[in-house]
Order: sequence, then C-alpha cells, then structure tokens
Amino acid sequence: MKTNNFHYMELALYYIVVFFILQEWLIPILELTKTGHMELILLFIGVCLIISLFNVHFIISWIIKLAYIAWFITDVYEDLSILSTDGLLFLLSEMHYNIVTVFSGRWLEITDPFRTFLFFILIWMLIYLIHYWITIRKTIFYFLVLTIFFIATLDTFTEYDGNYAMIKIVLLGLIMTVFLYVKGLIVQAGITLQWHKYVKLVMPTILIIGLVSILGITLPKSEPIWPDPVPFIKSATGQGDGVEGGNGVSKVGYGTNDSRLGGAFVADDTVVFLAQADSKQYWRVETKDTYTSKGWEQSVTTPTESVYFNLNEDINYSIPTGTDESAKVAHITQINPFDFIMQPYGMKRVELNPDDLENHSEIGLIMNTNTEKIYPYGDNKILKLERYSVVYSKPSLLYSQLQSEPSVPIDPIVFEPYLQLPDTLPDRVVDLANDVVRSAKTPYQKARAIESYFARSGFRYETDDVAIPTAGQDYVDQFLFETKLGYCDNFSTSMVVMLRSVGIPARWVKGFMGGEIVDTSGGLKTYEVTNNNAHSWVEAYIPDVGWVNFEPTIGFSNMRSIEFDIETTNPEDELVLEEEERTVEELEREREQQPTTKENNSNFFVDFIDMINKNHILFVVINLSILVAGILLLISRKKWLPKLYVFMNRNKPMDETNFETMFTKLLKALEFKGFKRKHDQTLQSFAKEVDSVLGTKKMSEITHIYEQFIYGKQQEEIDFNKMKEIWEFLINRRIS
Amino acid sequence: MHQKIEEVISNIEKVMIGKREVAQLSVIAMLAGGHVLLEDVPGVGKTMMVRALAKSMGLEFKRIQFTPDLLPSDVIGVSIYNPKTLQFEFRPGPILGNIILADEINRTSPKTQSALLESMEEASISIDGQTIQIPKPFFVMATQNPIEYEGTYPLPEAQLDRFMLKIRMGYPTPQEEVEVLRRAENKQPITTLDSVISLDELLELQEEVKAVYVEDSIKAYIVQIARATRKVSEVYLGVSPRASIALMKASQAFAKMNNRDYVIPDDVQYLVPYVFAHRIILRPEARYDGITQEAILNRIINKAIVPIKRYAEK
Repeated sequence: MKTNNFHYMELALYYIVVFFILQEWLIPILELTKTGHMELILLFIGVCLIISLFNVHFIISWIIKLAYIAWFITDVYEDLSILSTDGLLFLLSEMHYNIVTVFSGRWLEITDPFRTFLFFILIWMLIYLIHYWITIRKTIFYFLVLTIFFIATLDTFTEYDGNYAMIKIVLLGLIMTVFLYVKGLIVQAGITLQWHKYVKLVMPTILIIGLVSILGITLPKSEPIWPDPVPFIKSATGQGDGVEGGNGVSKVGYGTNDSRLGGAFVADDTVVFLAQADSKQYWRVETKDTYTSKGWEQSVTTPTESVYFNLNEDINYSIPTGTDESAKVAHITQINPFDFIMQPYGMKRVELNPDDLENHSEIGLIMNTNTEKIYPYGDNKILKLERYSVVYSKPSLLYSQLQSEPSVPIDPIVFEPYLQLPDTLPDRVVDLANDVVRSAKTPYQKARAIESYFARSGFRYETDDVAIPTAGQDYVDQFLFETKLGYCDNFSTSMVVMLRSVGIPARWVKGFMGGEIVDTSGGLKTYEVTNNNAHSWVEAYIPDVGWVNFEPTIGFSNMRSIEFDIETTNPEDELVLEEEERTVEELEREREQQPTTKENNSNFFVDFIDMINKNHILFVVINLSILVAGILLLISRKKWLPKLYVFMNRNKPMDETNFETMFTKLLKALEFKGFKRKHDQTLQSFAKEVDSVLGTKKMSEITHIYEQFIYGKQQEEIDFNKMKEIWEFLINRRIS
Repeated sequence: MHQKIEEVISNIEKVMIGKREVAQLSVIAMLAGGHVLLEDVPGVGKTMMVRALAKSMGLEFKRIQFTPDLLPSDVIGVSIYNPKTLQFEFRPGPILGNIILADEINRTSPKTQSALLESMEEASISIDGQTIQIPKPFFVMATQNPIEYEGTYPLPEAQLDRFMLKIRMGYPTPQEEVEVLRRAENKQPITTLDSVISLDELLELQEEVKAVYVEDSIKAYIVQIARATRKVSEVYLGVSPRASIALMKASQAFAKMNNRDYVIPDDVQYLVPYVFAHRIILRPEARYDGITQEAILNRIINKAIVPIKRYAEK
C-alpha cells in the first residue's frame, strides 16, 4: 500500500507542477481574448487533474466534467442554477441550436456558450494528453517546447508580455524534467524508492535549478540582438500601416500608453513621416497631465471636451502663436499614417491639398481640449491623412515678459490638473526642486534652473540600461536619486514633477523631434522622421506669456525663439544649452516608446524578481558566498564530514537495520583520511591496510563482523554496542 | 584454518616441500567434488603430490599412465568371458578408485582421454549397458606436460572444462630443493606417511562444504567476473556457466578450509586464476603477443566491483 500511496503522492506532485504550467497557458489566452472567470477555469483544470490522478472510471469522470461544464455555462451565461428547469432548458436550447448550426456549416454563428464548451473540451483533451505524456511516456519535453513556443509567439506578436511567464515555465519545466528523469531511472532499475531517498535524489537538482535561476536573474543581460520582430517583419515586407501607434502592438515608436515608463528600448528606424519645413521642428502630438508615480495618464476628472475646426480655420489652443506675417508652411507626408496631426509650435491652420480633399466629402478637425491632440475626421469617422500641410508661426517670446514677476498669481483651481502630484511622491523630490530653484526669482528663471539642472548634475543620457521603478518606487525619485540614467521620458517627467513641486503649472508633451535631412532641393528641407525621433518634453505655464516648451533632456536643444528686448544680466542663462545643440545629431536619438514591461506585477513571482532586482548586489553577494562556501566545504570535507557523521549518529544505536549504512559511512570517513578502498579491493584486504597504518586491529575486527553480516547466512548475535564503539574509534582516529 | 584440513595439508607437507599452496588447492578441489589438472614438466613431484594426498586420507590410490596406445578399456575396465560360470565378468579398470592419478593425460589418444573425462564428469562408468557408480570420494588428478612438448594430444576445451582447478607445480626454491635432496638421501618419507582423516570424516566434510552459504551478492560477483571474460577482445572463448559453478563450489571449499560457513569476495578473488585460466581460449594474436590467461584474469579482477553490501532485491 505504501508504494501505491507513494505513487499517488508522486503523481500529485507532477500534477501540481503541470497545473502551474497550464496556468501560464491560460493567462495569455484569457487576457488576449478578454475572457473572465479565470478561477473557475483553473478549478476545472484542477478537477480534471485530480480525476486523472485517481484514475477514476471514465464514465464517472465524464459525468463530473460534463456536469462542471454545464454548470459553468448556465451559471456564467444565464446566472441560472443548473438544476432548475430554466437552466436545463437553456442548455438544451443551446445544444440544439449549435448542433444545427454546426451541421449546417455556419461556423461563425455558433454561440458563446458553445465556444466556451469547446474551450473546456480542449482543456480536457490537453490534460488527457499531459496525463499520457507523464504516466506513459514519462517525458514532458514536447509539452514544454509547445508551451515555450506558444508563449514566445504570443509575446512577440501580441500585447501579452511573457517575460515572467517564460522564466516560470522554464523553471517549472526543468523541475518537471528532473522529476520525470528520476522516475524514468527508478522504473528502469525496477526498484521502488522511499520518500526520503527520492527527495535526496531530486533535491540537489532542484537546488541547482533554483540557484542558477537566481543567478541568471541577477546577472546583467545584454539586449536582444534582433530587435522586436514585428516592426522588422513589417518594414521588411513593406506593410507599415502605423496601427501599432494607437494599439501599442509594437514596443517602439509613438505609443499612447505611458502608464508605466522606464525600461530599456531598442532602436527602430521605421520612417513615420516626411516633413518639408524650413527648419527642424518639435512635432507636438498631445499632452498629459496626471503623473501616477509610474508614468503618465490623462486625468479622468476633467470632462473631455472636443472642439471642432474646419480645414484652413484658425486653431485656438493654449500654445501662443506668432504673427501671420511670419507664418510658414510645413508639408507633412505620412509614411506610416497616424490618425492625428503633427503640430509644430505656433500652429495656426491645417491645410489639405485639393487633390486629397476630393476623396472625402467633409474633412474637419477635432481637438481634445485636455490633451490638445488633433484628429482629422471626415465621413463621421477619424481619418488617417496621408498628406497635409500645417501653417505655423512661432511666437516670439519677449525676454522682458519671461523675466518679469507674474502680475497675477497662479489660480490653483484653474491649473489644478497641472499642479497634480501623487501622494506617494517622496519628499526629497520636492526638497530637491526647491533647492534647485533657490536662487531663481521668477517662474521662468525657476523653470530654466530646473531645465538645466540635469546637464549640470551628472545625469547621463542612456537608452539601454534604464531602470523600471519597482512596486513601491517612484519613477522620478528613482531617476533623480538612484540611477541618474535615462532618456527623454525620465528627463521630461522629472522636470514636470519638479516644476509642479515649486508651484509652476506644467504638463508633459509627447510627439516627434527633429529627423534627418534627406532632401534640400526646393525651398524647404525635407526631414525624415522615424520612430527613433519619438520624443517627450515639457511645457510650463509662464504667467503673462502662456505655455512655453522646455527641453530638459541632455543632448537636445529647445527651440524657443526669444526676443531679447531687454539687457540680460546673465547672458549665459540662455546660452547654457546652446553649446549642447551641436550634439543633437551625434547623440543617440531620442525615442519615445512603450515600456518593455507592464501588467502582471501583482503576484508573488514578480515581486520576488523585483526584490532580486532591487537588491541586486545583495543577491550577487549571497550567490557568490553560497558558491564560495560550497567550494570551501567541499574542499575541507575531510575535516568536518567525519565529525558530522559521528555527531549525526552519536545517539543512534547501531543495529541490524543500519549496520550496512553505518559501515558505508565508516568507509567514506576513512576515505577522507586517505584510505581509499579501490572498488576491486575486498573489505578484508582493505581492513588490513587500514589497521597497519592506524596501528590497531579494530578495522579488521569490525570488518570481520560486517562480512559475516552481509555475506553470511544466519545472523549471529552481533554485539552492536561494541561495533558502535569501534566505529566511533575508527572515525575519530587520527593518523599518527 | 579448519583443523582437520590443516592436518591433512601439514601431513602432505611432510613429503612435499614448499608445496603448501598446491596441497591446499588439491584439497579444495577434492572437498568441492572437483578434479585437478596439474600442469608442469616431469619430475617436479606431481605423482608424489597425489600419493601423499591419498595416503593422508587413507584412500585407495590408483594410477593410470597414459600412453599413445592406451585404450578406453584400459581405463574403465573390460568384460571377460569366464568359462567356469559361462558368463561375462566385468573386470574393473583403474578408474574405479578413490584417488586416481591420470599421468600425462595429454599423451594418449582423444578417444581414451574422453573415456576418462566422461567418467570424471558423471562419476560413473557405463559398460555393456550397465552403469556402475564410482565409489565416493572420487578424485582425479590429471597431470599434463605443457602442450608445447612433442608427442602430445592437447585436450579439447570441452574436456578442460571438466577440471575444476588447474594448478602449476613450479620448481622449488633453491633452499627447498636442497631440502628435497636431503630427504631423498634417506628412505622415501612417503612410505611412512599415516592417514590423518577417516573416510567418514572426509565425506562429512564434503557435505559441510556444500552447505557453505553463498550470498547472492557473491554469486553476482562471480557472474560479473565470468561475464567479463566473454567480453575481452583478446579472448576467443570466455568461460562457461559451468566454470561459474566450479568457481562457486571451489570458493565454498576454500571458505570451509578457512573455517567460515560463508563465502567472501576474497575467496573468489583467490581462486579465479585457478578455476578460470584453463577455460579461456586466447586469440592467436594475443598468444603471439605473449598475453597469458592469468594476465587477462588479473585485469578482470581489478575491474570487477567487489560487493560490500547485501544483494539488492530487485
């Protein structure tokens, strides 16, 4: 019975591991298909596993499983009890309808309950297959490969992020492989093992897997050599349709989700648009106002308002514009059409080539007043324009106005969204901001001080090794005080937070910046703007002037045009950044992108990895110490192992049951003293050898008894107390 | 050492100088119910050895000198017509004795050789449809000159297999040889040798040997060695399962001799060369290279894993 019991326990162990692997299958499926009731589906998996564990008769197992599925369907879809008439009727009608539908080949018309039913059947079959793989084939390899392939595919081609899932699956898979390998060996040898022996066999491998994984997590990893394959494949096959901008399929380029910033990103040279303009521009797309300590969101408290404009109509928004006389035109050709307008600073109008106009009846523009994102629309839907022109006139900011004391104080109610800060923002961020602006008097001076703070204080531009804030960490705090490494998001977000900390309304702006000149023929230069040019920067509200753009990111220059109408007392004030302008093109291009990690951060595993990443050095030290300690223990085992043997067996009386083990331990202990019994050496000759060196006869004595014990027929009375004495004597005996 | 056996061996030693090991091995074979092949050049005391053994045990000793013209009937006996009784009467040959010295066995024709060897294996002879049991104890000690000598019929492998042990006498050391000469000056000491063990004691001892316990791990050890001989590249033919049985039985006798009622790996290791060497046939290339069976067996023993735990139940 014991062996039988062991069998169940063993299988149960396997199934627990399988359960966790299956969970990793389920999570992305449910996440991507937006299916709920994960717990109930997991429960079904559990039930299936338990049923196959106990090898329940198939009729009973079918009844249980079908009953569960029926219950699930009635409960979830109709909120009816399965035992009620209504519930049964619902099931029957569903069944009838779907069978008819299927047989008439109208596949698309089957109902959701039926799809759910099929999904359950699929899980059922999968579990049967796993059961077969484990109990008959004793290998999990195919399942594992399948799982990894599945997760990798989803990770690559969908929003699903499989980083942690992948680690978990490989870990669980390795553990499972160990279990099954040991199982295979046991079956091959035709023996049954007791629990503790089994654990002894399995534990070292599991420990090694654990250690290696922790080491793997702590060690630095290089970036993928092949970047995200989706844009690559798309650009290679010429299908740049720009959808990824809105839906966040891609991890690079312009994205809308900024709720979790941070992390490294990879370059992407996909061209987004060509701009014919007379000079390099900041192409504003939208602004965001709510900082969440992890990233940016648009505040939901302010009601979203939309303002409609016609083409060629002046657009009124918060950005000051220059005079009509100085207006210029920029022609945008979208290679990768987005559904929004690229706005140069000082934009006045959007114009469309009459040829393009013909395709649509009425084209207008909608602007979200909160984000100031402008969408073209026509035929009652948002359009993607391939070509349009923007008329813009950069405002000349009067230096005197910028430098002057505000005539009216900032209204905290009007600017509330732009002064928002998360409650969790560490005080030291505010303290630092106040420190930085100490010598500045006016809002503009303060903003300037913060803008130039980064370049002065040892911050570095970096795209590869950029940290992601951990669960309890603030994105800005981490950048300002811990890493001081980052790209535009780090700099711009930090500047907004610091501005707000000192009471200056500020918002975060996203868009594109610069681009490479590809053509200078004609009057205008043609700039090629790629995903690499996605950028983020800052707009601060300067009283009496309006929203002014700032560029805190190192290596980028701002393009405010300031009219120095008064003598400046501090000319280098505006020159600080001028010096850096030359580096714009040389430096790594600034990109704005989706962070590489997101969601899923609420479970233990992720917290654990976060913890490791946080205490990176500590874990490396711990790992190294374990390694060093292990090596030292291995080298010095001659000294401590005999003592350990004695210590461990001191209070254990020697008897028939453990004589063999004890004697083996004695041989081992003697081996550490330098008496290595060759495998072809008989115990007797070995005993003589030991005795002659140790100068005793005790080894021969105990060996003789042992020989009698293992080779002899009937067990004679053995004086085990004496044997124990000899045993301890020999183990403790030192070579004189 | 077992007292009785020790007595026999020291008795033999009175006449055989420096041949204690040969005496021991001979006694082992006898106790285990096997036969011995003594291989060596003439004049090193092979006959004396057998005679001393027979005398020490008070057993009947017969000697067959094998010559090329010896016939099977000269070995097993012949039926002769008795004119008085008007019947054929069986006149037993020398094989019907307790201890038989088959001298220079490789000098006779294969036909006669096989007559001897068959009766050795069966411990009985068949003549005129009649089977006659050879009385116990039955112990054949055959001597042969090394096969390179002229005028010999080498024993076929199948027949060599019937000898439990093959022992080489070897020359005595100078001191021993001086002692041999010194004793030869006087009358032959063999004539004064007394028996030290009775027939009943001997038969009882043989039964006791059969009862010596062989643990399964020891059996596995024997098999391990036997199987290894079949896998060596220089070996044309390894040992048979009969050889494994012989090794086990000899080990039992050796254990008994050492006053033990169980076999230990040391017993097996000691006996392997004596039991297995003559049953291994080397490939000609190996023979030319001067590789001996003993060297191969030595190598095998050095590789075989000595069991130090009870046999694991499977």
